[in-house]
Amino acid sequence: MNITVWSGRGSLSERAPLGFLQRVRPWFGVSPFAIFVGIFLLWPSFSVFRSALQPAEGSSKPAMLEAISGQYLSSILFSMRMSAITATLGMVIGTLVAIAVVSLDRMRGLRNLMVGYSAVAANLGGIPLAFAFIASLGMQGLYTKILSAFGINLSDMGFKISDFSGIVIVYLYFQIPLMTLVMLPAVDGLKSTLREAASNLGASSRQYWKSIGIPLLTPSLLGGFLLLFANAFSAYATAFALSAGGSRLVSVQIRFYLQGNTITGKSNLGYALAAWMIIVMVVAMSGYLGLRRVSERWRR
Amino acid sequence: MKRNNVWAKILLFTVGAFYVLPMLAMARFSFQRVPVIKLGWSTLLKNWTFEPMFDAVTSDRFLEAGWLSVRLAILSVLLSLLILVPTTVYVHVRLMKARAFVELLSILPFVVPPIALVVGISSAMRSTIPSFLSSPFSLVPFYVVIALPFSFRSLDVGLSSIDLKTLVEASRSLGAGWLRTVRSVILPNLKVGVVNASFLTFAVVLGEFTIASLLLKFTLPAYMAEAQGNNPQGTFTVGLLLLVVSALLLGVMNRITRGKSQIVSTIGI
Amino acid sequence: MTQHKKVTKKVQIALGLATAGLFLGACGSSKSATEASVAVTETTVMAADCPAADIVDAAKAEGQVNLITLPDTWANYKGILASYRDKYGIKDPVANPDGSSADELTAVETLAGQPDMPDAVDVSPAFAQEFDTKGHWEPYQPCLWDEIPTTLKDPAGNWVAAYYGLMAIGVNTTVVTEVPKSFADLKDPKYKGLVAINGDPRQSGAAFAAVMAAAIANGGSFDDILPGIKYFAELKKSGNLSASDVTAASVISGETPLVLDWTYNYPGLAPTLAENNITFQVAVPTDGVYGGYYAQGVVKNSPHQNAAKLWIDHLISDEGALGYIVGGAIPARFDALVAAGKVTPEMMANLPDPALIKDIKFPSAEQVAKAKEVLTAQWGPLVADK
Repeated sequence: MNITVWSGRGSLSERAPLGFLQRVRPWFGVSPFAIFVGIFLLWPSFSVFRSALQPAEGSSKPAMLEAISGQYLSSILFSMRMSAITATLGMVIGTLVAIAVVSLDRMRGLRNLMVGYSAVAANLGGIPLAFAFIASLGMQGLYTKILSAFGINLSDMGFKISDFSGIVIVYLYFQIPLMTLVMLPAVDGLKSTLREAASNLGASSRQYWKSIGIPLLTPSLLGGFLLLFANAFSAYATAFALSAGGSRLVSVQIRFYLQGNTITGKSNLGYALAAWMIIVMVVAMSGYLGLRRVSERWRR
Repeated sequence: MKRNNVWAKILLFTVGAFYVLPMLAMARFSFQRVPVIKLGWSTLLKNWTFEPMFDAVTSDRFLEAGWLSVRLAILSVLLSLLILVPTTVYVHVRLMKARAFVELLSILPFVVPPIALVVGISSAMRSTIPSFLSSPFSLVPFYVVIALPFSFRSLDVGLSSIDLKTLVEASRSLGAGWLRTVRSVILPNLKVGVVNASFLTFAVVLGEFTIASLLLKFTLPAYMAEAQGNNPQGTFTVGLLLLVVSALLLGVMNRITRGKSQIVSTIGI
Repeated sequence: MTQHKKVTKKVQIALGLATAGLFLGACGSSKSATEASVAVTETTVMAADCPAADIVDAAKAEGQVNLITLPDTWANYKGILASYRDKYGIKDPVANPDGSSADELTAVETLAGQPDMPDAVDVSPAFAQEFDTKGHWEPYQPCLWDEIPTTLKDPAGNWVAAYYGLMAIGVNTTVVTEVPKSFADLKDPKYKGLVAINGDPRQSGAAFAAVMAAAIANGGSFDDILPGIKYFAELKKSGNLSASDVTAASVISGETPLVLDWTYNYPGLAPTLAENNITFQVAVPTDGVYGGYYAQGVVKNSPHQNAAKLWIDHLISDEGALGYIVGGAIPARFDALVAAGKVTPEMMANLPDPALIKDIKFPSAEQVAKAKEVLTAQWGPLVADK
């Protein structure tokens, strides 16, 4: 728990109220940063929306409306579903890993190893990752073959690495370590004194987690979930490399209209899909900020 | 606590196996020229070779792409720090109210998926400042933006754990000049954050593919995409090499920044 | 006709009326034996001036041609790039080799006026049309323009189709012992999970062609792609259709042992396959023969106009054409080369059956556009989303 001494606060109310200019002037200090983000992030984003509001070739309604109907709507929903599933699984497993790592306090080496590899794995993706899994569990995968030697035939069981479940597994490869990295500082912050105090007062492990542990971790859990959701939602390289199963994702479909070899003239549709992706993320982000404010209030 | 250790160990072992096994399968594919269908006890030790790896690592294309990626990464780290360090310090010392605003801006890159950003860049800047897009170093500001959520967070966490404003005021009221304050109070608290932010930005840049390929820049991931057509095994050995090297670098970084807030505190949201 | 042509004509007439008469007769018609032999003479005479000397000199002065999206293993571009470099000493760097036709259009537009703007492109027919609509072509007729069949060049002289290929089934015979010969064969349950197309047809030209070929095999035509879509829906339902992406790695690892791809995409893999002791066979499906070409042309207002024109000349020339044959693609001037005896039996082995080549027809731009509309609307609901 931070015991912050906001020594400034008490004296602030005793000062004379500041004029408008005096209040605004300090904000100029963050303007370089704001301008930088404005030019290199906001300006391209506005451009996406501008193109999205125009109709695609061969259609009369604005691309934005077309992109939210029929098969496109189902793609967006599919992407959201996939992202939510991988984010949830990643959140749960990643947090458990973080807790496990922290509890193995003595084995510093193991912790360093796990943390080190997590940081690397979290950034992995695309062709190498997709192929690593194809080489492991694909039709001609190494482990597929080994398992079949033991009588476990994956394709007979209906499992394909490039199906929905396969893609989820591959996504978890970078979702879990990302969550681990997010949760480690938070779990670290769960002082062991609290745990001891709780058990001294007769609380079981379960009660501890339910009443103290999880509520304390909630802001970080939410933040982690959002991060994982955003990560999965924007990911396309990995799904693209696993191909057909991934072609239902919005991020992959944008490529059809903007970076393909066959479809021409529908680039506004691609922009519109991108614009909807941004909107989904903005909504998710707002939800997160709202929830976080609520949970942090509890914390205090 | 003792009972916990058992499940903790089992969990870590399982997750560790999940991390390692696919890489092993990829390594076997890359280093052994035997298709899985022919793999058996008799062929297990046959045809292991480093040749694809040597071909890839010594090829001009790899060196060219690798060198560009490294330069882009270094420049991105520098630009990142140049913009973020003064901003975070300023916010923590002078204007905590702005922190939420800055934090929001730093999360915005998540809101815009890279592929959307790329198409936006092309359509926005193509007609207005085309010569900018022509230089390979035009990627740098965009990479800084993409890495923002991680780099800002690293710096911010480091500074949040202490009350920088009070310390600075204390230092100033004890008579220290600004230079001294910066040197003795601000910089030491930044050290870990800077190291973490740098490493994360570096990793992001080395792995970024979408924007680079659309702007026709020949970076390392672009090389991997190109080379996997004519030397797939070699390309994956390069991927594995990068993996191992990054993991080692991280281990080293971890050791250097010993102390409570390790690499661990990178993305504490 | 370009100025260059007039000069050659004058030379011809100066040589003799008979030759001139036969030359005029040979111009623009399909080749017969006598005409072909005249064509040989004509070519040898023209060889001195083809490509035009001023273009060659100007190109050498420019020193570089910016190329884009030409993978090494695609129709042996590795060899063709090398022969251009060696013959003229002009650098030919290739940007974004693994990109798409849309990437080429984006690059041309994004880098307009910049020194790295692409000088010449190689795009699918749909994008050749886009380039035309957007005014990005610089019309140029290579010196051997007359020897290119009408179906393989733009009437307005904007682009040429220097090569074309057939949709074929590539079989990794190390994994699959019984080789399928037709689309109907591919439905056999023993090929469960093994049939792969090269990407999503909404994105990839090769996959789109596979669907068209399947349409032809199942009662459809250039005007009706729906049977092809339904065929793949059936394959997916029965589990035969593999969901993995086709890459060099997936072919070598055996993950995608039955591949539907252009005939010219296979020879590039041969060395790596051999190193891994994998045997491979390519066969054009008997029930669905579909040919496709790519269009090459000079980009308007690009930095190295002459080097680009020389590049197009090179692609059409004998060296370029033979280079394509080595890569398994059929060059535009195939008939002329065969008649001139320049194609050896070993080279012929890379190509599909000549009888099939003779019968190739290409869909028109309108037919392709209509097929794409149907595909965009139906592929998702019928195949991809199931």
